[in-house]
Amino acid sequence: MRSLLPTLRLPRGFSTPALLAYLAVIALVALVPQVSRKPLILHMWIMVFLAIAQGSAWNVVGGYAGQYSVGHAAYFGMGAYITMVLLEIYQVAPWYGIAVAVVGSVVLSVIIGSITFRLRGPYFVLASISMAEIIRLAALHFKDVTRGAEGILLNAIPPLETPWFVVKFLGKVPFFYVSLALAVIIISVNWLVQHSKLGYTFQAIREDQDAAHSLGINPTLHKNLALMISAAFTASAGGVFALYVRFIDPNIVFGIDVSVQMVLICIIGGIGTILGPVVGSVVLVLLSETLRNPKWLVQAGLLSDESATVAFIEAHLSNAHVLFYGVLVVVVVLFAPEGFLGLLRKGLARMRKRTAARSAPPSQPAAAAE
Amino acid sequence: MNVFFQSLLSGILVGGVYALIGIGLTIIFGVMRVINFAHGDLLMLGMYVTWGLFTLFNIDPYLSLLITAPVLFLWGALLQKVFINRVLNALPQNQILLTIGLGLVMSNGVMLGFTSDYRILTTSYSSSSFQLLGISVSQPLLYSFLVTAAITGALFWFLQTTDTGQAIRATAQDRDAAQLMGINVKRMSVLAFGLGTALAGIAGALLAPTYYIFPQVGSPFTLKAFVVVVLGGMGSIVGATLGGVLIGVTESLSAVYIASGLKELVVYVLFLLILLFRPAGLLGKSRT
Amino acid sequence: MRLASRLLSTVAAAALALPGLAGAAPVKIGFINTITGAEAPIGETMTNGLELALEDLKKQGVDVKVIRQDDTGKPDKAISAIEQLATGDEVTAIVGPYTSACANAVAKQAEQYGVSQVIPAASKEEITRQGYKWVFRVNAPANVYAKALIDAALAFGKPKTVAFIYESTDFGSSLSKVGKEYAVAKGLTVVADEAYQKGSPDYRSTLSKVKGQNPDLVFMVSYVADAILLMRQSRELGLKPQAFLGGGAGFDTAQFEGERDISTNVFSVTQWTPDSSKASMEFAARYQAKFGKRPTYHAACTYTAMMVVGAAVKKGGADRAKVREALATDTSQTIMGEVKFEAYDGYNNQNQNAMPVIQYQAGKSVTVFPAKVATAKAVYPFPGWK
Repeated sequence: MRSLLPTLRLPRGFSTPALLAYLAVIALVALVPQVSRKPLILHMWIMVFLAIAQGSAWNVVGGYAGQYSVGHAAYFGMGAYITMVLLEIYQVAPWYGIAVAVVGSVVLSVIIGSITFRLRGPYFVLASISMAEIIRLAALHFKDVTRGAEGILLNAIPPLETPWFVVKFLGKVPFFYVSLALAVIIISVNWLVQHSKLGYTFQAIREDQDAAHSLGINPTLHKNLALMISAAFTASAGGVFALYVRFIDPNIVFGIDVSVQMVLICIIGGIGTILGPVVGSVVLVLLSETLRNPKWLVQAGLLSDESATVAFIEAHLSNAHVLFYGVLVVVVVLFAPEGFLGLLRKGLARMRKRTAARSAPPSQPAAAAE
Repeated sequence: MNVFFQSLLSGILVGGVYALIGIGLTIIFGVMRVINFAHGDLLMLGMYVTWGLFTLFNIDPYLSLLITAPVLFLWGALLQKVFINRVLNALPQNQILLTIGLGLVMSNGVMLGFTSDYRILTTSYSSSSFQLLGISVSQPLLYSFLVTAAITGALFWFLQTTDTGQAIRATAQDRDAAQLMGINVKRMSVLAFGLGTALAGIAGALLAPTYYIFPQVGSPFTLKAFVVVVLGGMGSIVGATLGGVLIGVTESLSAVYIASGLKELVVYVLFLLILLFRPAGLLGKSRT
Repeated sequence: MRLASRLLSTVAAAALALPGLAGAAPVKIGFINTITGAEAPIGETMTNGLELALEDLKKQGVDVKVIRQDDTGKPDKAISAIEQLATGDEVTAIVGPYTSACANAVAKQAEQYGVSQVIPAASKEEITRQGYKWVFRVNAPANVYAKALIDAALAFGKPKTVAFIYESTDFGSSLSKVGKEYAVAKGLTVVADEAYQKGSPDYRSTLSKVKGQNPDLVFMVSYVADAILLMRQSRELGLKPQAFLGGGAGFDTAQFEGERDISTNVFSVTQWTPDSSKASMEFAARYQAKFGKRPTYHAACTYTAMMVVGAAVKKGGADRAKVREALATDTSQTIMGEVKFEAYDGYNNQNQNAMPVIQYQAGKSVTVFPAKVATAKAVYPFPGWK
């Protein structure tokens, strides 16, 4: 019996209650379409899931390995384009298409990595931006492959026929589950990265590349591995996004704002943590939607139709949603450099201290003052 | 052959303005080691100030430099004092993010104030040119180039000979050492950011008579400024000048001999090649 | 008090029985537009056009309530906008959005929810070629622009060669694609095909390359302000073809018209001209008085779209199916002439809007082609720069 156990041993950092809580949250979220099928609400869930997928995918290389790529639009767009070109021009079903897209983006990441990882710090950032821009400009120019700026319009997604059930990609529900699954997979990958040996090497490189090197870690190899994992999942998010939105052009999927968005999600939530991108996505998507269309709160049943808040936002704030986004970024960097998650942790720690101080006997004032 | 010389000339002249944008960025980077993603938005502010002075008081864009530059200097100094100085020791990604945030606030603030309408500033020379041996020399571009040259010269003199200039350079070379030598590093940072902002603003003013003005006009220039600065070597003013002209010429010639739609792509490829084979840039010394 | 309220409710009930009369709840119409983002300047003219339409509908006694949504020019935001309108506000019909990418994303959803969408000014041909029942388009698609311009040039003179310079966007690139095909079919030789990225201050090298080819026609497509930039630099370089053909958009704005140094004698094509009818002139004058600028065709198209929806609402009330029926079968007289949504050449519910060609003469745009609507004689060939 004992000899079997080591293979079954759970990885470090694993706790059963945490896993159960994680599964419970997923199950609860998965029930959402059974409770409410309001399309706007489902759409927002999908946007949140896709944001989580992108943010978490970036987090692998940006957060854990500390390689600050601002060019992930390259992989996102590659995923979207390969999926759409295969589907629209060669009639390849999207589930195969996304698989090809993932492979294609991994190949691309090896090429980009081999160039950009020779550089460090700000030079790496700038090199990653320019690689994404090169691909965007090429996608605009080489129309034979990409149809250039005219973009690719999706006509129909074939139904997915399995021996057990048939999925027709009409409406929001299938996309809800597909994007939820994608988000769950990528969050799990983040968890694995945080707790595996491979992940430790990533984090060692992030903390001190030269020290990691002297410990026998090959930094270039491991940075490339992190980028490959990241690119694979970014590409799958791109593929799902393209199928959901049904139209892509180079500026929509290769634009620099796509890259910046992924970075923002992580930093606002909490970079290099599992939950950071989740928190960041929820904050960013809900904030931008609330400012653009506060009436979603009515649909979600949070506010009444006559609410003064809705009227106020519509009258004064809705043209300023990007401005608020900017203010949020500035505020986070200055006052919560570890993101919302860091803020939360600090708040919890303070609360714990306070309760500890309160429960401490009054004869020990020194401990309370701590 | 005429096409070649024509493109070469306009490439050099436009490159002059690129150089000015790059010099502003390179001073900021040199002193603070902060990549300023809001640089294009500062240029946009310069354009709006110029446009405002032109439409309200009918002040010629070149003359209005005397107002635009100090206004932008103060604005930059303020940004530095209130925001950037707080993150000088933070992670580089947070510095980048802060400048991205400030850029968004500036461009969207302007949009709320002035709407997103395109503003056109038409002067008597906006589409005039001189003829020289069968080549047309754009008047506004030529004036801009001359102003750029004069300002670059003055700046170079300031940094090389004055005490303050030398203090700025010392801070750029080694922050800690400069501090030990009794230089007020925080003040130098404020000066440097003000100077960089003023230069971006001047570039905006110089572009105003030929270009158009709208709140999001800055972002392509931010990217271009990065390329210029890295090409020349971060922190090197002569390098940025060279880098600017080189990019102007590369764009111009590749539009003719490769394809108009690929001129930016060629620039990025050149940029990557230089990063790979001469990481310190054309004239840079260190890559930290 | 109680008597009064009972009386009131009786009146209200009576009013409800007669659809479209005052007293009934206003019919909700969604308006999806680009209010922020890169296309916001055009979005603003569209909002203005809509405002004028609402004034007129009020005068006609059509009681509509417009619910606005900003799509920021991004298709994913446009989807969220239609979800809100179709399922949250439960609007009867939708006007917009502006950009092709957004209009198409919305079209798919509109079809699914069974709510009529009237597109004012998105040019991508495919949008109305997907067999949608609920999607209508007022403006002519991209191919019409290019054909009108080339036909005009061939009617005025005997050009042999043509150069294309266009912005690398959906609009620029699809317009020039059709233009090139049509030019070749008409026996012209395409001597230059230059796409450019917007955001560059210098197109002189591209233009001098074109000048080196010595084309008879220079066909340019660009948004708002690049048109001015391109023409300024053409003037600097002394580019002098037989005609400059501007493909709408940036060549059809009040600002371009105002730049007399560079706009004089340039041709453009448009969905609508202020001098096309008495109603158009009145519209233009009202617009000028209210917003202080000349209306662009985007404003006129949006005005028309809203008026057409208003007419359908007058007939069908708040009933989505009845409004669709009215849109699909009725013909309206508008400032854009007769608007009728038809099926032809693979299109469905597409209004066959003929696009007039205009020329800037002495600081004003005048219609020069086709002959039956022309208000002035074209200046051809281009006499040279002042």
